[in-house]
Amino acid sequence: MRLLLVEDNPRLAGLIRDGLRGQGFAVDGCTGLADAEAALQVNSYDLLLLDLGLPDGDGLALLRAIRRRRDTTPILVITARGGLDDRVSGLDAGADDYLVKPFQIPELAARCRALLRRPGAALGTVLIGGNVALDTAAREVLVAGCTVETPPREVDLLEHLLRRAGHVVAKASLENALYAMDAEVTPNALEAVVSRLRKRLAATAANVTIRTVHGVGYALFTPADGDHA
Amino acid sequence: MPDRLGTGPTLFRQISRRLIVFTLLFALLDAGIVVLTYARQPESLAHELLSLEAERLAALPDPARATASPGLAHWSAQLLTPHTADDARLIDWTRRERIPGGYRISGVRELADGTAPRWVLLRFDAIGVRPFLPVIRDELFEHVALPLVPLTLMLLAFNIISVRRVLAPLRRAEWEVDALDPDNMALRLTVPGEPREVDALVRAVNRALARLEAAVTTLRDFTAHAAHELRTPLAIMQLSLDRLGDTPVKAELQADTDQMTRLVGQMLDLAQADALVIADAESVDLAAIGRAVVGQLAPRAFALQRELVFSDAGGAIVRGHAEAIFRIYRNLIDNALAHARPDAVGDAAILVSAGPGPQLAVRDHGPGIAAADAAHLFERFWRKNRNASAGAGLGLGIVKRLVDAHGAEITVETPAGGGALFRVSFPPA
Repeated sequence: MRLLLVEDNPRLAGLIRDGLRGQGFAVDGCTGLADAEAALQVNSYDLLLLDLGLPDGDGLALLRAIRRRRDTTPILVITARGGLDDRVSGLDAGADDYLVKPFQIPELAARCRALLRRPGAALGTVLIGGNVALDTAAREVLVAGCTVETPPREVDLLEHLLRRAGHVVAKASLENALYAMDAEVTPNALEAVVSRLRKRLAATAANVTIRTVHGVGYALFTPADGDHA
Repeated sequence: MPDRLGTGPTLFRQISRRLIVFTLLFALLDAGIVVLTYARQPESLAHELLSLEAERLAALPDPARATASPGLAHWSAQLLTPHTADDARLIDWTRRERIPGGYRISGVRELADGTAPRWVLLRFDAIGVRPFLPVIRDELFEHVALPLVPLTLMLLAFNIISVRRVLAPLRRAEWEVDALDPDNMALRLTVPGEPREVDALVRAVNRALARLEAAVTTLRDFTAHAAHELRTPLAIMQLSLDRLGDTPVKAELQADTDQMTRLVGQMLDLAQADALVIADAESVDLAAIGRAVVGQLAPRAFALQRELVFSDAGGAIVRGHAEAIFRIYRNLIDNALAHARPDAVGDAAILVSAGPGPQLAVRDHGPGIAAADAAHLFERFWRKNRNASAGAGLGLGIVKRLVDAHGAEITVETPAGGGALFRVSFPPA
């Protein structure tokens, strides 16, 4: 996984690079629009991390230029601009995600992973949360290294919650993912699946918790999320 | 607005008063000229007096039995009827002779009383000024009152119309000044073009508004730029902090950094909220935004041993700025999280709701809002207890500003069961 980081502040660039390397990413850095264009000509990157306020121009211009040439490389905007319309204009310009400074490395790494996973969703990956692991190809759930027999629908649910661990996943998007378009979904069907998965995990001493956010959806928390959720 | 109307006289009154004084002065001058003219031409006075007597006789039913006017002595009147042909005429004449103390006046006048032509020979003595008073009165009426009164009335009418018309641009400027909104500094008065005096005043006011706008914008931009520039060093601080091992010192530093991050974010939010003008707003669903905010904040609430519950009562479609409404929710929930009682866990969930209709609400089970505090609640940098809370007191100020920008209303209620309920009611979409 090769990332290009475009950030003009050398100290911040260094910290981000070190942090992401620690999370297993290969990171190249450059400090301006011209450098970034040159780097993109030479190498192919899996993800672009783009600061907007650069010494030789606005990062949004580079973003638009990349999208104009039908380059779909995922782009994560990292910026100090957190204005009312900044997020929307960033996403409109073609950014895939938008992160306002300051942030912490685990948050940045999680967003990078989410973006990198998108095109390769068909590939097998092992999702890990606390002592729970899910092999997306084999559809297998392991708790503390032991296989736990889990029905397909609960595996689907766990996969979606693990992908967004620490975040609330909307009820509607879970229902869309778990049930076919034309299937009759009773209002309590999802709730029942969540309840069964909770019991199954509790029975195996898993250290993740699935919490209900009434009226919104569900969220899976790992022990690590408790610190800075 | 208590001092909306000044107490000074209106321009109409000022002009009218001057007009009347001027007319009176002019009348005096005119009367002086009339008196002076006759004083220098006593013979025409005698002529007029004789004519006046003749007119008086003509108006009587039987001129032959008329008697003298007051002040005239040795008065005699003799009707003359020509004996000759119909076309024979007598010539009007006047004769004046000086006698002791006055004049003896005699002469002939045609009696214009509508019958066959008749003439009268008049003769009388006019002693002193008294006999001439009616003549002077008539002359004053004819030469002073007759031209001046209608002219004055016309000028007063003209005054009403012209003052009203001339001042119309000024009145419009007044309405526009009253409608100026400190939240929308781009507003200017309409330049009337004429009259030039009002035009100059309006242009001067517009120049002053432009200077004010520049000053306010500089201040806002400074806040926004300062906050913006602080974010990169804050990011550096945060990432450097992450490299430290877990120690109590790190935890304290992390808490300080979080607080500063929050403050910088709020300063930026406030500067942007102040500049927010909602034009051609889109239709947004308060429920969808509420769900997104609650989804985003729920993990933090769980970490604080709190729970967020969202409920959608339906029909909460409003016209507005989605991101701004997102921040209204977020700041209200932040406030609720900060004030929920630390011991109340579980059933004391924070209730976030959208609808029914165009409204949203956030209800906590904290200590509630004292009536005395309600007035200060939305003031910037106000905190009930400056040392107890970590916030800067900007959150609700931001909410208030964003609510105002939507033309919405925010109210604080104390619901049954305690706590505080913040309700934002939007105008119907």
